[in-house]
Amino acid sequence: MKRISILLGSFCLSLVAGLLASWSPSSQLAADNLQSAKLTEADRVKVINKVKPSVVAVYARGGGGGGSGVLIDPEGYALTNFHVVQPTGPTMQCGLPNGVLYDAVLVGLDKVGDVALIKLIPKKPGDKFPFAELANSDEVKAGDWSLAMGNPFLLATDFTPSVSYGLVSGVNRYQYPSGGFLEYTDCIQFDTTINPGNSGGPLFNMKGQLIGINGRGSFAQDKRFRINCGVGYAISINQIKNFMGHFRAGIETDHATLGASIASASEDGDLNKMVVSSVLEESDAFRRGIVESDQLNSFAARPLTSVNQYKNILGIFPRDWRMPLVYTRGNDRKETLVRLMGYQPALEKKDGPQPEPMPKIDPKIIGKKDAGPQGEGAKFYKAKKGFANYYFNEQAQKRVLEGFAKHGDFSSLRGDWVLGGSYEKDKRPGPFTASITEKKVVGSDKDTRTVVNANINIDFILEPLKSKQEEKDLMVPPYSGGFLMALYHWNRFLTLGPKGFDTENGFLHGGVEPIYVQPMTGDEVKSFARIRVMAEVIRTEYAGVTGKWYFYRPELNPTLQEKTKYKDYELIAFEIFVAPDVDPCEVYLHDSKEVDGRLLPGKIEVRHGDKRYVTLEIKDYKLAK
Amino acid sequence: MIIRLLAIILLPSALALSAPNLVPAADAPFDKVANEVNNKTVKLFGSGGFKGLTSYGTGIVVSPQGHILTVANQLLDTQDLRVHLADGRRFRAKVLYTEPELSAALIVIKQDEKEPVTLDLEYFDIPAAVKKLKSEPGDWVLAFSNAFQIATRDEPMTIQRAVISAYAKLVARRGIFEAPYHGEVFFFDGIFSNPGSAGGPVTTRKGELIGMIGQEYRNVASDTWINFALPVNAKVEVKDGDKIRIISLEELIVDGIKGTYKYIKRDKSKEGPGAYTGIVFVPNILPQTPPYVDRVVPQSPAHKSKLQPDDLVVYVDGEPVYSIQAFKDLLAKLVPGTKIQLEVRRGEKLTAIEMEVADFPK
Repeated sequence: MKRISILLGSFCLSLVAGLLASWSPSSQLAADNLQSAKLTEADRVKVINKVKPSVVAVYARGGGGGGSGVLIDPEGYALTNFHVVQPTGPTMQCGLPNGVLYDAVLVGLDKVGDVALIKLIPKKPGDKFPFAELANSDEVKAGDWSLAMGNPFLLATDFTPSVSYGLVSGVNRYQYPSGGFLEYTDCIQFDTTINPGNSGGPLFNMKGQLIGINGRGSFAQDKRFRINCGVGYAISINQIKNFMGHFRAGIETDHATLGASIASASEDGDLNKMVVSSVLEESDAFRRGIVESDQLNSFAARPLTSVNQYKNILGIFPRDWRMPLVYTRGNDRKETLVRLMGYQPALEKKDGPQPEPMPKIDPKIIGKKDAGPQGEGAKFYKAKKGFANYYFNEQAQKRVLEGFAKHGDFSSLRGDWVLGGSYEKDKRPGPFTASITEKKVVGSDKDTRTVVNANINIDFILEPLKSKQEEKDLMVPPYSGGFLMALYHWNRFLTLGPKGFDTENGFLHGGVEPIYVQPMTGDEVKSFARIRVMAEVIRTEYAGVTGKWYFYRPELNPTLQEKTKYKDYELIAFEIFVAPDVDPCEVYLHDSKEVDGRLLPGKIEVRHGDKRYVTLEIKDYKLAK
Repeated sequence: MIIRLLAIILLPSALALSAPNLVPAADAPFDKVANEVNNKTVKLFGSGGFKGLTSYGTGIVVSPQGHILTVANQLLDTQDLRVHLADGRRFRAKVLYTEPELSAALIVIKQDEKEPVTLDLEYFDIPAAVKKLKSEPGDWVLAFSNAFQIATRDEPMTIQRAVISAYAKLVARRGIFEAPYHGEVFFFDGIFSNPGSAGGPVTTRKGELIGMIGQEYRNVASDTWINFALPVNAKVEVKDGDKIRIISLEELIVDGIKGTYKYIKRDKSKEGPGAYTGIVFVPNILPQTPPYVDRVVPQSPAHKSKLQPDDLVVYVDGEPVYSIQAFKDLLAKLVPGTKIQLEVRRGEKLTAIEMEVADFPK
């Protein structure tokens, strides 16, 4: 009897509880509790075992210090923190959970974002590495579970990583720079335990996908030194993806600023408005017409509601990326594309508590501080200013040029070029011709001068190499940003390749950048995000004129593949800057077709500033025969 | 038979009841709970910013019209206390009641007298939470706070998770100052107590409030930092004049919101004999007269420690001292013979001074 009354008592309670707590369909019978817990545990163990082989223990050569890392592809590329490789120099050693110690070399670097890409050298050429899958870290939410793995306190002598399990405590966190570098923007905060030695190691979601790179923590002064305080930070993998093209090209990347400072406009009570307080005159924002007291609504399709948010959004992009900005002036809401300026690691006044980098364990490199590259890694290292490892930039240049060469060899086409077809400018059509010719210099038998002609209703002429020309002379036709110069550089790029540009830094791989291909119909663009194409960039410089050449890669545009007809390594656009701090002439190449076995555009759009200058249809290519 | 059938039908909700004791499934994240609790939590900005004491903290919304529960600490010692709501709105706030016996305070959002806003905030119903409370050691819990001032405006609170490791009486101190509350608290195995965490809610896995994160204290016995929360049903027996009275957190909040909370009559003798320094301060005319030394009694502890006229006492054992009254309150708790560390501003410099307080001269 007693037993029944207890049961009944619990029925009443259950009823109440069932009403109070919204009944969850995932609830299982109580008898299954233990089973459920065991299954959950088994799942967790499975995930850990799946990702474990990709976790790297990073050591300074000769041991004595290091941190953690994670492999992200079968070739041996691995991510870690800048502050882990800073003391190791360009070559280091990496242990994998299989117990093998590999030589490794620095590939790419982001000092501000505290990220480094390194490459493990396989023991036999062609050997593949286990690697972690990258997540979409924008989907991570506060309250999600996470796994941190790595080598805290350098515990594991056999390179087996330690695992800790905990909650994501916050996302889109901003953490002030520590000494100019190590600014964590838009980062993931978690209570999953990390300690010294965990730096550079992976943070996984419960699917075993990489959501971030652990690197920093907040520590209560005088309480626990730099030991876990339940507040760690990881650089989001989505931020790292934006820099990945630069890393793989061996670049020492820079972060970005808008060139405008903004401030919070409202007083107590109201929701926040972010308003421009000043604009640098040399910034693209200034050229786009952003002025003081404009309200910024969104940047890169994310709403701006606080200074932290603004820094978060800017912080995830490399310099020179072009991103959409929405602003309001009066009642007018406008969207424009802004090219980001380089980030000056100005030592801002540090307000707010400073989280500190999860310290790497410093290597004892007394007496061999400038040891330079060593071991197998040294074979893959080339020092150059502005690069983490120029060897990888050379490789990337080579790869792009080889890929591009599949679409036709132009090297035999030195000589006069004549293009013919039609143009449409401000909705008025007409015939179009252009030529690039070598003309004899009067009074000399040998010397020639290069002349570029174009007829777009009016005849335009440019001698691109004539000295003492002013900026505006070089930017013909007017309002094109220098279309004739662009034609000339295009000709050099196609026929001469790297040899057509300055020997010192005249031809470099510039990583990956977005380009916005506007519809040839001239229809208004509703969303810049939809017309964004990610491309590999070659940067050129010749006689003071710089260029950016955009090459399409299907793997950089997984969502575009269906919609576009571009071929792998196809040149889809280029931009020519006749001077620094002016808007370039943007040339978009459309409707490519084969002309004598070479891929050439059927249509071209020329843009400058925010406007279309002209569209061209090229029917006739006479290239140096 | 009917009973058995009922049992089968009702078991799932019985499970929901005991859910806090379950190991959570790996695919059951807390993002929804995080959102719900975050909406009932505020960021506080007040006085502090020195000596490891933060000028920011956390509070729990306990009424739709903007009453907020937080810990009683130096943060509230300002005329310019500010609140950031979860949606990013900013308000000033004022202190209604502080109850040192519970280490708790009730504050309220200050409204513009001419144009008051209907706030209609999401809030924790404290009496309901007290009734529902049945957490015990071994349960999973979640903590929410603005630790390290990571969030401002509409940025969400930090969410952390831990297990209740004990339910026991609090015997803790910071420096020489003992935690005033001696009742039962929840202790955790996770690091919930960081700068700015105090005042944040601790909830069950479902977001039901069970307590408030306490201040940063050390365990008296082991001298290690502890992580604890004042339970929502916290109560202490105190002497109210000649009588014994039980005061509770619930009473502070329920009566506090009505404006009818009654403080106990404090028995001065309870606070110990107090101690003598020999400092004569400037005349204490304002409620917040800063503790400037006017003169020092010859042969007194202050004299032996070479305290000088015009010194401004800034800290006593790391605790900030804002007023002559605050200094006297601190001294009242000391036992003669105790060594204390003073920091005084002399000219433009902070000077550290050690002083052994003495018996009052006969």
